Amino acid sequence: MNTVEAPPAGAARAVTAKTVELVNVSRWYGNVVAVNDVTMTLGPGVTGLLGPNGAGKTTLLHMMSGFLPPSQGQLTVGGAPAWRNPEVYRDLGLVSERESVHGFLTAREFVTASARMHRLPQPEQAVRRAIELVEMTPAQDRRIETFSKGMRQRTRVAAALVHDPSVLLLDEPFNGMDPRQRLHMMDLLHSMGGAGRTVLFSSHILEEVEQVSGTVQVMVAGRLAASGDYRTIRRLMTHRPHVFVIRSTDDRRLSVALIAEESVNGVDLDASGLTVRAGDYGTFTRALPRIALREGIRVRALVPSDESLESVFSYLVSA
Amino acid sequence: MPSEAASAPTGVIHDIGYQRYTGPRLGRWYAVRSLYVHSVRTAFGIGRTGKAKVFPWFVVGIAFAVALIAVAVRSQSKTVFISYLQFPDTIGVPVLLMLAIVAPELVSRELRAHVLPLYFSRPLRRTDYALAKFAALATALWLVFAGPQLLMFLGGVFSVSNGLTGAWVEFTDFAVGVAYAAIAAVVFSAIGILVASLSGRRAVAAAAIVATFLVTVPVVGVLEALGSETTQQIVPAINPVSLVEGVKVWVFQAHAFPIGDFGPAYLGIACGVVAACTALLLVRYRKVAA
Amino acid sequence: MNPTVAWITLRGLIGRRRFLLLFPLPVLLIVLAVVGRTSGVRYENWGVPVIDGIGFTVMLPVIALIVGTGVLGSEIDDGTITHILAKPLPRSEIVLAKLAVAFGVTLVATAVPMFVAGVITHSVRLGVACAVACALGALGYSAVFLALSLLTRRPVLVGLLYVLLWESLLGNLLTGTRILSIHQYVLTVANELGDSKLLTTHVGWPAALIMSGVFVAGGTILSIDRLRSFAVAGETS
Repeated sequence: MNTVEAPPAGAARAVTAKTVELVNVSRWYGNVVAVNDVTMTLGPGVTGLLGPNGAGKTTLLHMMSGFLPPSQGQLTVGGAPAWRNPEVYRDLGLVSERESVHGFLTAREFVTASARMHRLPQPEQAVRRAIELVEMTPAQDRRIETFSKGMRQRTRVAAALVHDPSVLLLDEPFNGMDPRQRLHMMDLLHSMGGAGRTVLFSSHILEEVEQVSGTVQVMVAGRLAASGDYRTIRRLMTHRPHVFVIRSTDDRRLSVALIAEESVNGVDLDASGLTVRAGDYGTFTRALPRIALREGIRVRALVPSDESLESVFSYLVSA
Repeated sequence: MPSEAASAPTGVIHDIGYQRYTGPRLGRWYAVRSLYVHSVRTAFGIGRTGKAKVFPWFVVGIAFAVALIAVAVRSQSKTVFISYLQFPDTIGVPVLLMLAIVAPELVSRELRAHVLPLYFSRPLRRTDYALAKFAALATALWLVFAGPQLLMFLGGVFSVSNGLTGAWVEFTDFAVGVAYAAIAAVVFSAIGILVASLSGRRAVAAAAIVATFLVTVPVVGVLEALGSETTQQIVPAINPVSLVEGVKVWVFQAHAFPIGDFGPAYLGIACGVVAACTALLLVRYRKVAA
Repeated sequence: MNPTVAWITLRGLIGRRRFLLLFPLPVLLIVLAVVGRTSGVRYENWGVPVIDGIGFTVMLPVIALIVGTGVLGSEIDDGTITHILAKPLPRSEIVLAKLAVAFGVTLVATAVPMFVAGVITHSVRLGVACAVACALGALGYSAVFLALSLLTRRPVLVGLLYVLLWESLLGNLLTGTRILSIHQYVLTVANELGDSKLLTTHVGWPAALIMSGVFVAGGTILSIDRLRSFAVAGETS
């Protein structure tokens, strides 16, 4: 695999960090609320926008890229609003989800047109760099309509990068890419983020997000459900949730023993069994067998209350 | 010994079985009939969103409005205002508009969405598909003519003066009008569906159908101005609307414009147009990528 | 007026198969003009159906419709418009570039055959008059259809309704609508510039010029404003 070139930051102008700020941003269509009171700040580095399908990620990205006005709230890119403000595109690159490209152009013509429309002083150079960055140099003179899905995607990324934007927004960029291309794209995004650019990409696949370091914003049903370091969120989402239902030979004695444990936050006792809320999943799961053995209690059933990722998402929302 | 916190991961593949269908299969004719019925419904927007109903029912509304006016005037003045034979010509423009909008809905949409493989991997043959669509379009247009004609009949038959014979005369007039409507519907649909099948974009197909019908009018005008008496009698055959009118003049002894001795020629040209368009339509669907 | 946008638009028009649709009508026009001329009949008898009936009533609006809705409408349809909009270009530049391409292509596809037909029909002066009138009509129609591409999701249908119902049908029935019909302005200009008084006009030529200007300016300003507020729906359609 080719090594990824360092982003053109050294040769081009220095990257000025720009933040994307959203304050109480909402967007609704009639009765349907697509984005519900989202407040977030995106700074330099790579941020992943994660969420199930229909969570409002594309709507949010369209608002950030100036293609949709927020129904409520303020949304600024580098201090200026994105809506009705073509100047914002000087420093903003967008790779939309729809695969549409002008198929009749060759890759090079497409990226060159992009460079010219950005009024770059030396378009050919920028175009060459951008195409090399996405490894499309051998195919650059073929018409885009002859390309595979992944190649089209990479061409669009090249067109979005040609003017060296400080902010890069990508909507489901890994759609349709094979593992090798995906790895390359991740490296690319990683290096862009490392150079001080604000990169936001959206995805509904957790594994894609976890391989790109940085912060994660999780959206569920239009609301911002979680933000922060992806590892923490990941543990919250994929490890066993902290609610267990236990049935044993002596529920009451077991509950007494469990509540003495540090990792246990609370215990509810009712006819169907014991509901344990554990603060530390790992410690609790190691402690339970020890306690049961010590007390001589036989544990008949141990059921984590929710398994699927969907219910985990809703768990995050209701939390 | 306590159970483990999580039992060893197991997985089961449930054998729901590949559900073979062993019952009776209805075969090709049923498929063709279903496609035909479905297409007629699509033409009127039945079973689709409100937006798809706007244009067709707008045209139907105009047609019924004209028929109502005819009935009203007839009952007031006791003379026929618009006869059954004249009615299709009166609402010709709205019906052509409907043709321009419905024909692309029937064929262009499916070309664009590349769903033809779904059709052709069934017992339905390519020719069946093309003919079913043609028949559906012709039926839709004919219904737009015949429905209001029925209204005119119902309005007229109760106001005839001499009882049963009057009613019978009325009925024969109505039948003639409906037959003429069928001829017009078939000729217009043949042209319309051929043009529509050439493009996957509905808008372009609609513009092309309109242009095809529209451009023949001045062509006829030019040739009429140039030619002799005999030329002027045959030249209207170039325009599909006046072509079917010419057929009407000869077959039903109506009065529209002088066609001299060219009556059979009009009928022959009409049949030829339909045959040629059908043949080209079949060729088109044999060659379209699926 | 941005040259890159214009270039992409032009490539997009010419590359597509719908470009072939632009050929049959001009060819038909010229063929009929030749037929008329060679028949020996005086041109007053057949000139109107050729010049007005085919040329101004069918060829000009239909070609203007196909081109005018194609320059922007097809990009909005398949989503490639975002590539043009996500650039720091003033929206007026984008609209003017597209208008220029639409006008230019329509002009070439209509004014040239109209000039030829006019020359064949009667004289060079008629040819020039028809070509100039065509140019005015091309500009007016292009501006209107460009605006329609941004105002409705089915610009070709609305454009067809305008041409068929408004200009033809209602124009024949209700004389009042004639003042708002580009077709009438075209006829007026052709009649004024030509020497033959061949065509019947209903709108005086100062009114024709002013109203044409209104249509062009209005269509352009409307397009620019709509493009500034161009919103993309949430999920992919």
